[in-house]
Amino acid sequence: MLFWIIAALLTLAASLAVIVPLASPRRRAVGERDHDIEVYKDQLKELERDAARGLIGAAEAEEARAEIGRRILKIASRDDGTKEALRKRSLVPVIATGAVLAVPLVSWGLYAAIGSPALPAQPLSARLGADPAKSSIEELVARAESHLASNPEDGRGWDVLAPVYLRTGRFADSVAAYRSSIRLEGETPARLSGLGEAIAGAAGGIVTAEARAAFAKAAELDTKDPKARFYLATADAQEGKLEDAATAWRKMLQDLPAESPWRGAARDAIAEAERRIAVARGEAQPGPTQDQIDAAAAMSDTDRAAMINSMVEGLDAKLRQNPQDPEGWIRLVRSYAALGRTDEAKDALGRGLQALDGSSEDGKRLLSLAASLGLALAQ
Amino acid sequence: MIVEAGHFALVLAFALALVQSVVPLAGARIGEMRLMAVGGPVALAGFALVGIAFAALTATYIQSDFSVANVWENSHSLKPMLYKVTGTWGNHEGSMLLWVLILTFFGALVAAFGRNLPATLRANVLAVQGWIGAAFLMFILTTSNPFARLDPAPFEGRDLNPILQDIGLAIHPPLLYLGYVGFSVCFSFAVAALIDGRVDAAWARWVRPWTLAAWMFLTGGIAMGSYWAYYELGWGGFWFWDPVENASFMPWLAGTALLHSAIVMEKRSALKIWTVLLAILTFSLSLLGTFLVRSGVLTSVHAFATDPTRGVFILAILVVFIGGSLSLFAWRAGSLTAGGIFHPISREGALVLNNLFLTTATATVLVGTLYPLVLEAVTGDKISVGAPFFNLTFGPLMLPLLVLIPFGPLLAWKRGDVYAAAQRLMAAFGGALLAMLVTWLVVDRVTVFAALGVGLAAWMVLGALTDLAQKSALGTAPLGVSMRRLAGLPRSVFGTALAHMGVGLTTLGIAATLAFQSEHITVMKPGDVADIDGRSLRFEGVAPVRGPNYTETRAQFVFAKDGRTLGEISSAKRLYTARQMPTTEAGILTLGLSQLYVSLGDATSNGGMVVRVWWKPLVTLIWLGGLVMMIGAAVSLTDRRLRVGAPSRKARTAVAAASQ
Repeated sequence: MLFWIIAALLTLAASLAVIVPLASPRRRAVGERDHDIEVYKDQLKELERDAARGLIGAAEAEEARAEIGRRILKIASRDDGTKEALRKRSLVPVIATGAVLAVPLVSWGLYAAIGSPALPAQPLSARLGADPAKSSIEELVARAESHLASNPEDGRGWDVLAPVYLRTGRFADSVAAYRSSIRLEGETPARLSGLGEAIAGAAGGIVTAEARAAFAKAAELDTKDPKARFYLATADAQEGKLEDAATAWRKMLQDLPAESPWRGAARDAIAEAERRIAVARGEAQPGPTQDQIDAAAAMSDTDRAAMINSMVEGLDAKLRQNPQDPEGWIRLVRSYAALGRTDEAKDALGRGLQALDGSSEDGKRLLSLAASLGLALAQ
Repeated sequence: MIVEAGHFALVLAFALALVQSVVPLAGARIGEMRLMAVGGPVALAGFALVGIAFAALTATYIQSDFSVANVWENSHSLKPMLYKVTGTWGNHEGSMLLWVLILTFFGALVAAFGRNLPATLRANVLAVQGWIGAAFLMFILTTSNPFARLDPAPFEGRDLNPILQDIGLAIHPPLLYLGYVGFSVCFSFAVAALIDGRVDAAWARWVRPWTLAAWMFLTGGIAMGSYWAYYELGWGGFWFWDPVENASFMPWLAGTALLHSAIVMEKRSALKIWTVLLAILTFSLSLLGTFLVRSGVLTSVHAFATDPTRGVFILAILVVFIGGSLSLFAWRAGSLTAGGIFHPISREGALVLNNLFLTTATATVLVGTLYPLVLEAVTGDKISVGAPFFNLTFGPLMLPLLVLIPFGPLLAWKRGDVYAAAQRLMAAFGGALLAMLVTWLVVDRVTVFAALGVGLAAWMVLGALTDLAQKSALGTAPLGVSMRRLAGLPRSVFGTALAHMGVGLTTLGIAATLAFQSEHITVMKPGDVADIDGRSLRFEGVAPVRGPNYTETRAQFVFAKDGRTLGEISSAKRLYTARQMPTTEAGILTLGLSQLYVSLGDATSNGGMVVRVWWKPLVTLIWLGGLVMMIGAAVSLTDRRLRVGAPSRKARTAVAAASQ
């Protein structure tokens, strides 16, 4: 409402700027010539000053005076621009009316087309001061951020914010937040393993040396910390030490309480490790057999492409029937991406996430793979 | 509310600009005073409305209102307050709004102080200002609206380009725009004169203050931009012949020519058609600069976001205004009465020579700036026209002009006497020769260029002083008398002397820096000492520093001579976290008029750092010269002949008022 009042007042003021001069009583025009003559008179006076100061010789001054005099005479002999004055007088009311109407019509018309009168201003401070219960997660994060920006030494704040960043996929911010909370509040297994997870997340799921160091420290402080143990084993697996990794996961599975959310992840990891160990030993496996690979090497390019495509499509069909296969989805997405079939890769990613639930451990692996391949989820 | 109020005010300003474009012009054609009288109040109201819009945008920046797309794209809640405010015009949309704000500001000034102008001239000038304002407001509203909204609003902005997060942003664009846009008034006067079909000596006097003011601001804007590039980019250079720099330099050269030709027109009623053409060309070059910078034709820190529709729109404005005004000129110039003829050896002759050199120099810069762009558009070849081209073309053109500068003010109107002027300049010439000899013998025996440059600079500074000494009869009259005469000289004489002296000082700064600067590139570890021309620079160490929205590695140095500390310098490599963008913060130590410039390179594997150090003697004179030129223009602006009063109906009384 306030906006409309202001808009109306502004329009009124602008209209008055047009109406008032139009409506004021007719003034008689000061002759055009008078302005010119004013300048030349001033020039004459300047000349007198210069002459009095000796800046200009008497002869030159006399010449200049004559020249300015000639200009004045020339102006005086000119007609005063009034010859057109009586022409087209009938146009005046038309132009005046048009001008007065143009101000509100153009402004309100144009504003109606491009303005957003219903949208209130949203200064950041006011938004941060709003009721937290009604806030979205972004608002809460922004609120925490603005608090921490002014109180960067508030370790508890960083402690709260770090896992939120991690869950929303802002890994780099999460790393920084975990580091701050560790610096201010000290090392705990949860903070250290969170830091490791954030570093690994930022690296696209790879447990880097830095992440590993964080997990190792967490495991040192608490030998039972499941996250640290899980990721340390994952690091082994990523380095190709599958036996070690499987052993670690098995031990972890024994120690975990029955209701632990890590049991599923550990079991899947063991299954995957065993499968890969089997592949490495040349036993039965879902991937291409040695024969197939040899055959592929002997084929022409087109034949090989056809074979690869048929294998990928076979996998796709299998996953449509049995979607609860995280490794399968990862293989499928990677294959499509490698073949350059980006749309299908995205489609497979979407189906995989639906089947595995994006927030599960497997879903996250799939997501980080997609991120590393540069795939974005199709809208 | 505040956002939309600003938006509405901007739309309303557009409506008023349309009225301003049509009504006063029609009034002048018909001869109806009431229609002509609309121009003034509408121009004032338009300025007030654009001012409201600009204030509203600034307020949204201060409040970090990310529901405004422009704020979200160019601000960040952690940015220091100064940069929140200056960030208002640190982007395409906001800078165009500033452009229009200044345009309407000048329109309002004409409305407020133009009472001494004939009514039709004033009405026509305001109408032409209205055309420019309407065109640019339409451009803003259709392609670059700073009030476009986002719903839902994001919670954090994308931050301002770190290079722009500097005090320079508070000064450089406003000054530059005051200059660019100030020339729009001269343009409007020229077009108004062409519409009227009448131009005479009085016109030149009415235009003069606007030309002076625009020239003053443009000089300051260019000097500030040059200093900003010098300390921010970390290369230690002060002028790069970059197309964006040229874009601001061309109107300056043309504006300088205009400033001088308008004097001839005012005094001798000559060069009228030429002056009108120069007024048109100067603003056309300002528009060309705006087009080059804003259309995305050039990529630079000035380009901001590029969008082809904007380029096409500005190109259309360019074609309409430049093409239209030049067509009008071609059509009407014949009907203007040509001015008188004059002797080549005279003040006016010298000013024509000045104009010849300056316009040729402008053309050279124009060719050097546009040729690579045209070539790329036609053949796709990318070439760069840099310093070598300009040194070969622009340099030889400027040199004779600089040599001739001291003669101009000493020549009399109508019939000058070169011999007499030369005689009067003997002392200045002797001084220049002495400066040359001293430079050659004492400072540098190798480069003749250095001695010549210093000599030329001394010649200009002493020449300007000679003019003042002559006019106050210093040496021929008793000291008391000549002091009184000096105090009584018209302000414009001081303005001329100061401006010419400023050119001399800038020349001295450039010559000294180019000839005597030394560059040292070394790898330093904490504790290391580098020898800089007999003085020592000690690297104290590096420390990480956390700023409000950046982190930096700051290196501390101590500059000393024979164990006596001359000063401390810190130089840094900075990382702006929001954009993950690194910048170099050069360390600069000013000693007298000279500067030590320290810039950090990369860290080496063995724990050292690449450090680039320049010793730049007299470098600050480059910009101080610009400041002196500005002061000259300001002093000239206060000259009483620029305060011609308005005639009243009983014109006699106004004569008294005019002489005050």
